Amino acid sequence: MRMKIDLKIMRPASGVAALLFVLAHTVALSAQVASFTLPDAPTPNLLAFADGQQSPTQATPPATSSSSPQTPSKTGAPPSLGDLGLSPEQIQGNAQAQALLDKRTHMLKVHQRLGLLTTIPLATTLFASAGAPCNHNCGPSAGADFHAALGSVSVGMYAATAYYAIRAPRIPGTEKKGAIRWHEALIWIHGPGFILTPILGAMALSQQDNGQKVHGIAAAHSAVAVTTFAAYGASIVAVSWPIHVKFWEHQ
Amino acid sequence: MKNRCLLVFMLLTLPALPQADRTCHAAKGKGVCHAGQCDFLLAAPVKSFDSGDSNRDLHMLQVTRGAQFPIVSVRLRLPEANLASPTLDCDLEVQFAGNTAHYSHVPFTQIVEGTVHHITGTVPSTLTDFKIDPPSFFTVPIKNEIPVRVDAIWHPL
Repeated sequence: MRMKIDLKIMRPASGVAALLFVLAHTVALSAQVASFTLPDAPTPNLLAFADGQQSPTQATPPATSSSSPQTPSKTGAPPSLGDLGLSPEQIQGNAQAQALLDKRTHMLKVHQRLGLLTTIPLATTLFASAGAPCNHNCGPSAGADFHAALGSVSVGMYAATAYYAIRAPRIPGTEKKGAIRWHEALIWIHGPGFILTPILGAMALSQQDNGQKVHGIAAAHSAVAVTTFAAYGASIVAVSWPIHVKFWEHQ
Repeated sequence: MKNRCLLVFMLLTLPALPQADRTCHAAKGKGVCHAGQCDFLLAAPVKSFDSGDSNRDLHMLQVTRGAQFPIVSVRLRLPEANLASPTLDCDLEVQFAGNTAHYSHVPFTQIVEGTVHHITGTVPSTLTDFKIDPPSFFTVPIKNEIPVRVDAIWHPL
């Protein structure tokens, strides 16, 4: 009996341990900023059109420095990118920056798939919670064990999902706009929720297996779990919502 | 069309990728007329296309290989005599994502009010024209069509 209780505590604890392992890397990795920068966009939004015979009063384009790879075209010659005032840095590609983008997209795709797959054990855990609590004659029950096992799987998958988001390279100079801000803000709810829920669940399970009704802080297990699930779902909806559907904006 | 020099405000809109309109206000261009023909070059940095969602824009940049090929450019040639025509029939050469596509007889409409030319039209481009693999969401790929809407206002210098 003693051994059985330990195993039950270990099950959710293993999920929490995985989660804590991931979060332990968060501080170090959140500071990880790739050194490759993308070419800057030019600021002017003006296009010029001129015929081959330039007016004496017309503003002439600034002379291109000898270091520029593209010199302004001669009179009558088709214009080149150098004529548009684009700097060599803006024109030349950066294979390393592209590789960084490729890696970022790959890791976030894995994050997306794992995150969606996590909803399956998570929802099942929520449904299985109906058979977990005892009303009277509390003691070990298969319903509680099943609920705890599913919860452990959910926490483990959540930790793997978080890992891929945290390890995805940052693109310097990118100002976060749009739904991603909601997606990231909700981490502050479901992140702590995924740590607290299994801890409170383990406490509740322990109390129940000892023949007690769940009491104290462990009684908050279900409320914390539901809040965590709601925040997690909202986080998914935030980045899955069709970008052109803005019901909050009236024509 | 002697001594013509115009400034153009240009708005390029690139829909889809994935399923969102992206607008670029950073386009630059130049036209040079010689011997009755005008050669135009328009260019915009791929990273300047903005949907309002930075996460999706970075995915667009990755899919279109925007870091490796940072500029989208359009070349076209028009007879100088047609520059004031209400409709412009353009043959376009578009360089994007490291590939070049040609579009023949793309119609643009032009409204000339005094010295101001307002030109609008759509380039019927597709992902396959530029060998771009359509991004997919759980094996469902996005639309292949990425029509580029052009809205340009020309002002004389």
